[in-house]
Amino acid sequence: MGLSLTVNGDHLTSTADPITPLIDILREEFHLTGAKPVCREGFCGACMVLIDGKPTPSCLMPAALAEACDIRTVEGLAVNGGLNPIQVALEACDAVQCGMCFPGMVVSLTHLVTTRPEATRDDIRAALTGNICRCTGYERIIEAALLALATT
Amino acid sequence: MDTPTSGSVYVAPSLPAALDALDEAGSEAAPFAGGTWIMRAPIRHEPLKSRYVAIGKIPELHAIKVDTDVVEIGAAVTHAALATALAELSEFDVLTAAAGRSANPAIRGMATIGGNLATTAFAAADCVPALLCLAAEVEIASRGGRERIDLEQFLTMRSTLAPGWLLQRIIVPRRGRKTAHARLPLRQAGDYPTAIVSLAVSLDDAGHVQSARVSVGSVEPVARRWERLEDALVGHKLNATKAADAAAGLAGEFTGRDSADVPAWYRVRVLPGLVRRAAAALGS
Repeated sequence: MGLSLTVNGDHLTSTADPITPLIDILREEFHLTGAKPVCREGFCGACMVLIDGKPTPSCLMPAALAEACDIRTVEGLAVNGGLNPIQVALEACDAVQCGMCFPGMVVSLTHLVTTRPEATRDDIRAALTGNICRCTGYERIIEAALLALATT
Repeated sequence: MDTPTSGSVYVAPSLPAALDALDEAGSEAAPFAGGTWIMRAPIRHEPLKSRYVAIGKIPELHAIKVDTDVVEIGAAVTHAALATALAELSEFDVLTAAAGRSANPAIRGMATIGGNLATTAFAAADCVPALLCLAAEVEIASRGGRERIDLEQFLTMRSTLAPGWLLQRIIVPRRGRKTAHARLPLRQAGDYPTAIVSLAVSLDDAGHVQSARVSVGSVEPVARRWERLEDALVGHKLNATKAADAAAGLAGEFTGRDSADVPAWYRVRVLPGLVRRAAAALGS
């Protein structure tokens, strides 16, 4: 019996082994390549997705345990074809980076902006603890998160 | 690509169902809680079990029960849930810090307290020394019955526990102690600690230490109490500098574990500084 997964509102099936990390099914079967398998240890955050609204490293999530959950990848964060508030702010602040770590940051910050409208700069930094960037810095990303919080 | 394959996953709806499944599958099966250790098995070049019994949907394993004399914690409680539940109970500051500052936010939302205690090979588990200094007990269950044992005893037997046993809950006595958790990760956050010192003391009205429990994690392969330092603290006013001096004199009893990121000697060298931080956190 295959796995039944709900990804970005779509009901999809997979015949992968139940223990297969969700990241591999998302990328290799469903061709949702925004999440990246980088460290495969839950440290880097490049594979972050929302599972029932919670940021979750999809490298550590067996597909079998994601059944009956709402899985949302970076491809599914836009609302009705429009960017969500953090996506708008990241673009406005010219904070978009190379694309390896960045989708995971968008996922983590979408959760933060949605659930903690009172978040401070320190809260933003703490929320990004599990999203590692090796290219540049975090400051413009943090500024974008503050902008998104101020405008939502 | 190092990815897990070929393991079946049974999502147990209840504790009896989980114990039945573990019993029937024997050594072929293992419990699966948060998965933050098991899913990394390929990176450690370890084989996966052929069958996992997922315990994350069992309601009683998610319960945290706060009574006047004890706190009971289900094995599948996540670090994040534990830190939130204990945040207002100052006597558990050590455990709140251990659960609330380990790893990163997403991992804290997945990793469980039971997994932290039951994973023999994970030397850097924050909650183990925290619970040791709180004199915690654990309850283990199998289809044949239950046993309640000291955490210290559990740590010596966990690697040889017969198939079919499951860590069900943790029982922590409430004794009104002052507690603190000091850890040194290589980066400020989101990293494994190089060394951990957990401290619990009771003080008399004059500020003298009546009883002390000190435990050390991440330095040796298994966390343990530092009983000679405990003895050195009792009967004196708690003083961070003097506690660190005592720790420096006794640190030689530890044999650090070597690793690619941290040499063995360094883990031992930082212990007095962590003792100082823990004692200072208690206002000394």
